Amino acid sequence: MKFRAAKIAAIALAGVIVAAGSSFAETVKIGFNAPLTGFAAADGKSALNGALLAVEQANAKGGIKGVKIELVYYDDGASPKNSVPVANKLIEKDQVVVGISGSYSGATRAAAGVYQKAGVPYISAYAIHPDITRTGNYVFRTSFVGEVQGRAGAKLIGAMLGKKRVVMITLKNDFGKSLAAGFKEKAAAYGITIVNEYEYSIKDRQFGPIVAKVKADKPTAIYASGYFFTAGPLVSQLRAAGITAVIVGQEGYDSEKFIKIAGKASEGVIITTSLDRDSKSPETANFIAAFEKKTGAKADMVAASAHTAVKVMVAAMRQAGTTDRAAIRDAIAKIRITASTGVISFNALGEVRKDVQVQVVRGGAFRHHSVISDAKLLAPPSK
Amino acid sequence: MLAFELFVQGLVQGSIYALIAVGLTLVYGLLRILHVAHAGLFTLGGYCGVLVANATGSFLLALLVAMVVVGLAGMAMYRLCYQPILDKPPYVALILSIGLFIAMEELFRLIFGPYGLTFDAPALQGRLEILGINLKHAEWATMAGAVIVLGVLALLASRTRLGIAWRATVTVPQMAESFGINIIQVRYVNFFIGSALAGAAGVMVALANLQVEPTMGSVPSYKALAIIVLGGLGNVRGTLIAALALGVIESYGTIYLGKILERDAIAFAFLIVVLMVRPHGLFAKAGG
Repeated sequence: MKFRAAKIAAIALAGVIVAAGSSFAETVKIGFNAPLTGFAAADGKSALNGALLAVEQANAKGGIKGVKIELVYYDDGASPKNSVPVANKLIEKDQVVVGISGSYSGATRAAAGVYQKAGVPYISAYAIHPDITRTGNYVFRTSFVGEVQGRAGAKLIGAMLGKKRVVMITLKNDFGKSLAAGFKEKAAAYGITIVNEYEYSIKDRQFGPIVAKVKADKPTAIYASGYFFTAGPLVSQLRAAGITAVIVGQEGYDSEKFIKIAGKASEGVIITTSLDRDSKSPETANFIAAFEKKTGAKADMVAASAHTAVKVMVAAMRQAGTTDRAAIRDAIAKIRITASTGVISFNALGEVRKDVQVQVVRGGAFRHHSVISDAKLLAPPSK
Repeated sequence: MLAFELFVQGLVQGSIYALIAVGLTLVYGLLRILHVAHAGLFTLGGYCGVLVANATGSFLLALLVAMVVVGLAGMAMYRLCYQPILDKPPYVALILSIGLFIAMEELFRLIFGPYGLTFDAPALQGRLEILGINLKHAEWATMAGAVIVLGVLALLASRTRLGIAWRATVTVPQMAESFGINIIQVRYVNFFIGSALAGAAGVMVALANLQVEPTMGSVPSYKALAIIVLGGLGNVRGTLIAALALGVIESYGTIYLGKILERDAIAFAFLIVVLMVRPHGLFAKAGG
């Protein structure tokens, strides 16, 4: 009798262990690649923190049907030669249900092909190259392609600020070139004359010759593309040379580091981006507060974009109610949710439709300037 | 006017190249090592400068500390890394040097974070106009600093016992040794001075960029190699001229060739042309 009781207890115990094992080991995995080393590590780290925050928040709200979500992430060094093995590892070894890129265009473009081939939904959080979504129907993007943001820049300078004499300073990579293409496409429509365009490489930090030439060009506005680590020195050098023209940048400037590097010279710089610091939307305000509480750093565009991408994935998986990837893909395509970067929905190509947020540096911080919500101007490519 | 302004901007950039490349050419002259990790020492100088300037508020102290720290780091690098493998073929030292450089970049990233550091209150940001050229104090200081430092170095090399010993060691090491010159001491001094100059360049670049980053040495690491080849490996005067010339050519190139040729590619285009015409470098003596 005693023996039997012990046997039943043992079987019950084993059952509990097995049950516990299955409910703890079974998580819904989201794959994530971002540059955690190398020149883009600052953006990669911020994006990762934004994604981790979104996962934390989703798990606090019951995960997906009570199953915890896990973010599996690897460093891709912003390089395609790392992002492809990372994508393979995430899909084959980690068996992720979906993937997100918190990386730059080169790495994202290469990884997108792997995801598409495997039939795993993939969202590019903030990489801007147009070919990323053209990879196939499993690839989406929650940020603007460069051209769209460039067009918004033209409207901002020509129509909203009324400046017509513009010098362009273009970063010579996918990001800068696609911004410049969009800007030039619409410049004439807003009465803008492009006096000159100068190009620089991502490694440049000293712009003495360009600054001297821009000064001689006497523009009323400067449309300069770049990231905070190039734009910081560029803006400070333009202002130091006594150039007072309005400087308009884009989401690459969108980091508190930009203001820290350029110091007083950053005052009055206007950017087009995805995150409105003074947003009345509770979704955005909550994100900004939660991010600062979690990391001690100020929220920026890449963090908000990665947070948005995770949120889209979670919402789609909840809607699909299954880990079937085709069903999740269809749910993403039909989604319409409010996230920290605005109201998100996708067109047939998987490109996001949302408003452009315009921010201005005032008192050492990015503040609300205006919103561009011109659906026709901001229409992303659909094929 | 614009042309003159571009010329001066080129000299500013060229002065920075000169400060970096002289150390590199000194090392090559003495040990026949392509010292790629020199660019890591340059970065170390930038970080020291920002850290000390932020802690003490004194730019001069920051510059001094950076030069001493980087100089000592250079000596340590020689003692711990290069000296044990001097009898190996030159590519061993080259590979070691590249590895050291990558390790240093990643170390800066691990210790200080990928975001780099910025000055709390950058010094020398005022402006001064001389001959119609309006530059930041930091830019004038860079040029003046390069002239003074390199001038002193030239004097040292030609007028002092140590300088003569150094030149003798470069030219015929065995002979120098047999005349009682302490070759090891010459090497230490060589690494100290060359590294300290790179450290100074790091501080000046930090001041120009208003930031230091773990990867700030990546362009100097290979561009300085191009410069010392142009100058005739181990030739200090040739290196100086090549550095200044490259700065000026890049300055014009950025404006007038920017769409065709990237600024960082100009150095190598220039290098290819020169090597085709003068295979020993611009200023090397034939057969030297």
